[in-house]
Amino acid sequence: MRALASEWYKFRKSGSLWALLAAPLMGFGGGLISGLDMLEGININQWYTPLFGANLVYGLLFLPLITGVWAGLVCRYEHQAGGWKQLLAAPVTRGQVFVAKYAVIMLLVLVMQLLYLAALYAAGRVQEITDPFPLDIVWKSIFGGWVAVFPLAALQLWMSMMWKSFAAPFAVNVIFTLPSILVVNSERFGPYYPWSQPFSMMYIGGSTDDVFFIPWEQLLTVVGGSFVLFFLAGYIYFQRKSV
Amino acid sequence: MMGKLLRVELMKIRRKGFWFLTFLGPIGVVALQVVNYSVRWDYLRTLSDDHWLFYLENVSGFTPLALVLGIAILTSFMASIENETNAWKQLLALPVRKTSVYLAKFTVLSGLLFLASVLLCLATLVYGLTLDFGGGVPIIELLEYSFYPFFAALPILALQLWVAMVSENQGWPITVGVLNVILTYSAFSLPDWAFWKWPTLLNSWEEPMYSGLMGLGVGLVIYMVGMMNFVRRDVK
Repeated sequence: MRALASEWYKFRKSGSLWALLAAPLMGFGGGLISGLDMLEGININQWYTPLFGANLVYGLLFLPLITGVWAGLVCRYEHQAGGWKQLLAAPVTRGQVFVAKYAVIMLLVLVMQLLYLAALYAAGRVQEITDPFPLDIVWKSIFGGWVAVFPLAALQLWMSMMWKSFAAPFAVNVIFTLPSILVVNSERFGPYYPWSQPFSMMYIGGSTDDVFFIPWEQLLTVVGGSFVLFFLAGYIYFQRKSV
Repeated sequence: MMGKLLRVELMKIRRKGFWFLTFLGPIGVVALQVVNYSVRWDYLRTLSDDHWLFYLENVSGFTPLALVLGIAILTSFMASIENETNAWKQLLALPVRKTSVYLAKFTVLSGLLFLASVLLCLATLVYGLTLDFGGGVPIIELLEYSFYPFFAALPILALQLWVAMVSENQGWPITVGVLNVILTYSAFSLPDWAFWKWPTLLNSWEEPMYSGLMGLGVGLVIYMVGMMNFVRRDVK
């Protein structure tokens, strides 16, 4: 717990919180750009248009990519001037450090999701949408996007601990994220690709019977499975890393 | 002096992944189409009569995204060579002009990106020839789709290099890179003056060359502004 507090403190003082603002920017911009004219005359809740338009880009590219930025930022302090040595000389286990850093990433993503939600709502208000805000569906999307990021954040944390440079883990992130533009179109492969899960779980057109927009078995096997794999691999890597 | 600086920069980027990424970008873009065409060639065949042109359009769906993200990664890598080792002071204590250092870095980066465009052209052609498209290869379009995006992306390269060179925290340029790629991906909704749209070669005149020319012009302007700002800054 103290490890977590210190991670949060370091992050807060690193002056990197500005990057949180990128998310509401996306939500507001995306909500405005995907205007209403496209669905004129069709009788559905008007909120769906900005939600569709903004969620597409947000879930497909922004969320997976920016998670990698967070992972890089929480490791930045230690990569400078032998910070790993100092941190691990303190009375904390390496496991605690890994978990604390991971928790900070996931906390940041959660805050980012909420800011995004607020910005989307604001964008809709600006366009004077009068229909009731479909909060039950939007919650699934916001929370689902967060859950889908769990494995991606674990992989990115692992990569960020491995490389000193900021760009190298980001390159790994890009290599896996770009193909998902193609993968989400495929009914056969889409459900199995971890990097397309943020999109699938934020896609508001999915089935609404379950808690999330994807079936439980897909959530448990693909998201859960890749999470366990990446988290354990990163955890074990960090135990053995020489500092 | 410029020749020496270029050789130094080329030496510094060895064994750091620069060359690997330069090859991976274009090969990856075509590899996505290899997957696309091997999975659903029967379906894609029905979508268009001009198979070659349709194939080129498919490839160029990913070219701008790979280009913009590649620019973000390579520029940040480039700046972090000096950032990570606190070598800016050492480098600039040498009898070199700051403008030359900046120009050398820009030249090496655009060289790598140009090489990536050549590879993209070759890889697109080679895989296209293995498919049974019928008809001749549309050489002009192939060259257009391979090289105009490079020129059209020069404003983004100049912008990213500027941000990367003046940021101590490389989280900045990477976040800018993410926003750049989002804007490029949303090119359909952007007006013609927005330079994020240009690498897609879409414009209301339906003339891809304009995207390339505007990129070259605006890229030079942003390059000058970035270089001036870099020169006036204190070395940390």
